[in-house]
Amino acid sequence: MRIGVFVCHCGSNIAGTVDVERVAREALKLPGVVFSDTNKYTCSAPGQESVCSAIKENALDRVVIASCSPRMHEATFRKMIAEKTDLNPYMLEIANIREQCSWVHKDREQGTRKACDLVAMAVAKVSCDRELFTTNLPVERRALVIGGGIAGIQAALDIADAGFPVTLVERESSIGGKMVMLDKTFPTMDCSACICTPKMSEAAENPNIEIKSLTEVESVSGYIGSFDVTLREKAKYVDYDVCTGCGLCETKCPTKKIPSEFNQGLSTRTAIYKPFPQAVPSKPTIDAEHCKKLQSGKCGVCEKVCPTGAIRYDDVDRVTTQRYGAIVVASGYELIDWTGLYGEYGAGRYPDVITGLQFERIVNASGPTEGHILRPSDRTEPKTTVIVKCVGSRDPNKGVSYCSRACCMYAAKHAHQYLDKVPDGTCYVFYMDVRCAGKGYDEFYMRTLQDGAIYVRGRVSKIYPEGDGLVCMGEDTLSGEIVRVKADMVVLETAMVPSRGSDVLASKLNVQRGPEGFFTEAHPKLRPVETNTAGVYLAGVAQGPKDIPDTVAQAGAVASKVIGLFARGQIESNPMLSKVDVSRCSGCRACVDVCPYGALGLVQANLRENSRKVTRTVCQVNEGLCQGCGACSVACRSGALDLLGFSDEGIMQEVEMLCQ
Amino acid sequence: MTANLTQQIRDRARDLLQSGTVSCFIAWEPARFEHWRTPVTIESPDEVDRIVVDEWCDQLIAKYALQRRGDGRIGMVARGCESRAVERLVADRQVSRQDVYLVGVGCTGMLDRDGGAPLKKCEECQRRNPVTYDEMVGETVEEPRPYRFGEVDRIESMEPEQRRAFFDRMFSQCAMCFACRNVCPACNCRSCFADAERVGWLEKDFGLDASRYWGLMRAFHTGDRCIECGECERACPMGLPLMTLMHKQVRDIDRLFGPYEGGGLSDAGPDPLRSYRTDDVEEFM
Repeated sequence: MRIGVFVCHCGSNIAGTVDVERVAREALKLPGVVFSDTNKYTCSAPGQESVCSAIKENALDRVVIASCSPRMHEATFRKMIAEKTDLNPYMLEIANIREQCSWVHKDREQGTRKACDLVAMAVAKVSCDRELFTTNLPVERRALVIGGGIAGIQAALDIADAGFPVTLVERESSIGGKMVMLDKTFPTMDCSACICTPKMSEAAENPNIEIKSLTEVESVSGYIGSFDVTLREKAKYVDYDVCTGCGLCETKCPTKKIPSEFNQGLSTRTAIYKPFPQAVPSKPTIDAEHCKKLQSGKCGVCEKVCPTGAIRYDDVDRVTTQRYGAIVVASGYELIDWTGLYGEYGAGRYPDVITGLQFERIVNASGPTEGHILRPSDRTEPKTTVIVKCVGSRDPNKGVSYCSRACCMYAAKHAHQYLDKVPDGTCYVFYMDVRCAGKGYDEFYMRTLQDGAIYVRGRVSKIYPEGDGLVCMGEDTLSGEIVRVKADMVVLETAMVPSRGSDVLASKLNVQRGPEGFFTEAHPKLRPVETNTAGVYLAGVAQGPKDIPDTVAQAGAVASKVIGLFARGQIESNPMLSKVDVSRCSGCRACVDVCPYGALGLVQANLRENSRKVTRTVCQVNEGLCQGCGACSVACRSGALDLLGFSDEGIMQEVEMLCQ
Repeated sequence: MTANLTQQIRDRARDLLQSGTVSCFIAWEPARFEHWRTPVTIESPDEVDRIVVDEWCDQLIAKYALQRRGDGRIGMVARGCESRAVERLVADRQVSRQDVYLVGVGCTGMLDRDGGAPLKKCEECQRRNPVTYDEMVGETVEEPRPYRFGEVDRIESMEPEQRRAFFDRMFSQCAMCFACRNVCPACNCRSCFADAERVGWLEKDFGLDASRYWGLMRAFHTGDRCIECGECERACPMGLPLMTLMHKQVRDIDRLFGPYEGGGLSDAGPDPLRSYRTDDVEEFM
């Protein structure tokens, strides 16, 4: 064994606290070490050159580099060894003497002693290292985007524009998500539908994008580059190949009193319907729950009036399986159901207490009131409106603990729109804080204040009816006075919560969710659109509350990751994976239960033991799914599982060395 | 235990073996001295009169099922502890429930072969009746469910130095015979880490370090799956209070993860320490 130790000064980052020359001298006394050296900047070109030539000149077969965190430069040095020497790149250990040593110590003697220990441990571990080899796995150049909101649409468009086919899956009957329901977008006040619907039709017309509406992900198997995804497309009862979207069926459908989901229950729709005129796909579906023909067999009006004969009452769900190389999760959000949480706001009993999204529909020109601000109860113009922020947000006792981020601006926009359309109206905004970080955001808030919106710092503690209005009671925490505002309408800016079914989707995709239920990114700063499952990416509010510009930016970032993966066309496998020694495996299944990636399974294996042929249940590792987290090797009591590159033996030797 | 239990079990064993329901029947037989019983595996209906089932059957026989895997269905007398041990082996996928035929008996506790005092493990027993069986012989018995954490309470109330001294004294007497492992129904690995021929793992000398390492590792390897049969403590030739660590873990796991008992008694899914959940308790992180 010929181990070389290279100690890095990192300028004064390390050398300032650690006597690197002494560390190099001490390292030479360690078993197996035949060479040691120091370097000003090992990661620089001359630094790398000197390491490579030392490896060749001294015929080193294992290398320890004592420098920064392996997260920083392990990949750099691996690449260097692979490309410039004959050594296997996995015969390398990094001793972190910067982040975990020089940066946290002030005393030079202590720091140096610790650096010596860290190097000794790395030498012990590298002695146990074995050569590991990567393989190239092919990538299916086809992406699946889950969720057809603005995040999903943007990601799909960007990937499709690069020339790769995309399937855009939406569980509702039209893509567009929440953005298409909004009236205007802050801070520029451009029409939300006017900028969202062109994207929707662009997606529909893009030859590389296949939109599957009323479709949900049934199951996912496989791994990066090769996910086999089963999709369930629900029965639409309309043959989209024949339907021209003329809309005659909608006008004739006798069932007309169904609350419209798109208009947030403020108007009604028919049983055969398109959620809104600009829907994509621009064709109707039958709501089986409310359709007379499908429920009782009597009606059939749409079939009679349809000029192309597109109605199919016997339509069934279609289940298809397709292979995808990458999956984008853009499943979005929904608003918290405040009615169950806030009894003091009437729990939904007062029709004039509405949500922000309902206000969006009221203020929208194509909404139920054609853009006139009329309150739901008696369709009169409210002269006093109260906007309550943080309903559910930042309220760990009742709602969620986090800030929903978009509501401060959203509330300012509502106040602005209300004062614009009701010039003689008064608008109160109850707030906890005003958070307007963003380009042009604070200016917009200031403009709303100039419009005359009255901001009251405090939470509304109670809303109760009085006469034909509502009284909002709260404390102005700046003056310390109790405030009672007689309002005609109250708008609650409710919290964003993960969309329903996120938990099920997370388990199908094997991705993690944070305590608040949003999907967790691989690294909060450096890998914000990846998940810990390779090949699964996050865009939009599915990852955490954010506004439209951030969502679109994130969708673009996701697309660049997916395009990068597809452009390479193959991925190098990570060889630091679990490995099972079947002779020790008793098939107890503990590893299968703890594996977060579903990478382990039990198989019947034909083995030869003590000169006898036996068939036993043993564990098997799926190398495509394994991420090398090591949970299984810890769970395995008999040590049948080991993590290559982090073998039990290597870790034991490290500890052993430290204890000497 | 009723006087004619032995006869009833013999009759059942004969019937089961004759009808081919089971290929063998595991019970006890008298051993060399009075009040000594030893596990026996009966393979022929003619041999069933060797079986004795009485208050001296101090050994847990469930683990013998492992030696008969693949030979057809295994008949067995099942008290509370045997039934829980079988559940444990099923949960660890070492046998399937259909491979075992359990003749359940209610148990009122066993006596020490030396002196006839009630066994400690039986005085702490939480399950005198089988939790699973294919047929019952005799009546079920009353379940007193005695408090079993008295010793844990006592050790928890000690000062750290006292506690260390307690465990050091305990482990310094360990003879490293691994009897506790050999009888434990949760110790069902194909190869034990203690037998690994690797330098730097478990030392083979009789030092306190090695025996402490062995004792703690054994406790952790079985902690979340302990069925509290108390066999480790009964089998220990040095009489070490091994169940203190097991009881401590059982109680801690109960407190952290909700009502839970080893041996797959709860339907809450996999054992708490071998599951992956994002909402898992991690107040230490």
